[in-house]
Amino acid sequence: MKCAGTIDVRDVDESSINIDPIQVGGRLTADAMKAMIAYGDGYSVCDQCRKPFRLDYIRTPPIDQFHRDLASFVNMDTARVVPGARRGFQAVADAFISAGDPVLITALSHYTEVLAIEGRGGVIREIPKNESNIITSDLAAQKIEEVTREFRHSPTLLFLDHFDYQYGNCHEVEGIIRIAHQYDVPVLYNGAYTVGIMPVDGKKIGADFVVGSGHKSMAAPAPSGMLATTSEWAGRVFRTTGVTTDVTGRTFGIKEIGMMGCTLMGVTLMGMMASFPHVRERVNCWERELANGQKVVDALMAIEGTVIKSEYPRNHTLTRVDTTGSFDRVAQVHKKRGFFFSSALKGKGIAGIIPGATKVWKFNTYGMTGSQAEYLAAAFRDIARENGLAVTD
Amino acid sequence: MSKRAIDAVFQGLFLLTDIRVMLRETAPQHNLDESQQEKVRSLFDALEKEMAVLREELA
Repeated sequence: MKCAGTIDVRDVDESSINIDPIQVGGRLTADAMKAMIAYGDGYSVCDQCRKPFRLDYIRTPPIDQFHRDLASFVNMDTARVVPGARRGFQAVADAFISAGDPVLITALSHYTEVLAIEGRGGVIREIPKNESNIITSDLAAQKIEEVTREFRHSPTLLFLDHFDYQYGNCHEVEGIIRIAHQYDVPVLYNGAYTVGIMPVDGKKIGADFVVGSGHKSMAAPAPSGMLATTSEWAGRVFRTTGVTTDVTGRTFGIKEIGMMGCTLMGVTLMGMMASFPHVRERVNCWERELANGQKVVDALMAIEGTVIKSEYPRNHTLTRVDTTGSFDRVAQVHKKRGFFFSSALKGKGIAGIIPGATKVWKFNTYGMTGSQAEYLAAAFRDIARENGLAVTD
Repeated sequence: MSKRAIDAVFQGLFLLTDIRVMLRETAPQHNLDESQQEKVRSLFDALEKEMAVLREELA
């Protein structure tokens, strides 16, 4: 079926249980879908834009209030919506980093943090992970010391992911931030895999900046996200234009330089806003999400030769699994080779695993119902049994 | 302008959206339990009412 012309209807989530590691937290709520219907046209939020002509001042629809709600949601002082977490990283990088400045990330940081720093000419230094793939306070302290000796001053900024995209492991954010602050290093907390799916308290964590992803974890269309900060840093990262042009003498009111003026002027913002009441509620159901994830992890662990590569017990619904000793053994002799696995999953109505992957792969159970989690767990066990792998009951 | 027709179009699309979400929640087998069946029946009824408004206003 086509939506229009050569564009297929996308019905992955209507026809299947989707376990794509990056997609599940960004699936829209019914209210966001309805907002998409009503606000799909270009600059649709600008109907009632009045002086001072800035997105976060618009009252109808209540975008001004939404900005205050977002800040309060992550317990920070000020927030802006941004076109994806990556643009939040970039805004902070632009405000803080000069060419040659040392900037810390971690061995499990997302690539967009690297690009944000590289774009400013910053010098990237990584805090290593330990043998369990965790970023610890001790390793952070060692690295800050090392970088401070190398550059004769402390790092300009630290980008820190609470849960990483590779393992979905929980890192020692509070301890690391405490140490970073002892060296006067401001910290950007990357909540792409937390804000919108579990409770996040920016002040309790001690973050200077909290970045969230609308399309990854806040049930919003892409590209959307948020950047929140404290009153200490708001003036710097959300600084306003002061220029007067030479020929026309124009000035540009209170447009924010780091935001490139207004950010999300249409359907992305309205989707994010429509989902927000549900998102605010759903973060309180994180334990239920973990329990659903556990059912699936237990099923995989029951299959002989399967190893969970993420920390265990799981603290996140995104999990990395190594099936080299199980499903990949089947792939070696199966007529479909590595594609047997994704094909078998597809046959059972499960989508989101990269076709051909049978060694190390990731999945995310976020947002599924209890029955869907049980169905998925049973599907993994059944595929194993159907292909001659031993499964512990 | 028919405000009634405009409202009926949006309301109809919103009702269909609720049905779409039900498909998501019950994927891949779409075996609806009793309460889901009851909900979907009431969505159909409401949708038919919006269709009737559209017929009245536009046809």
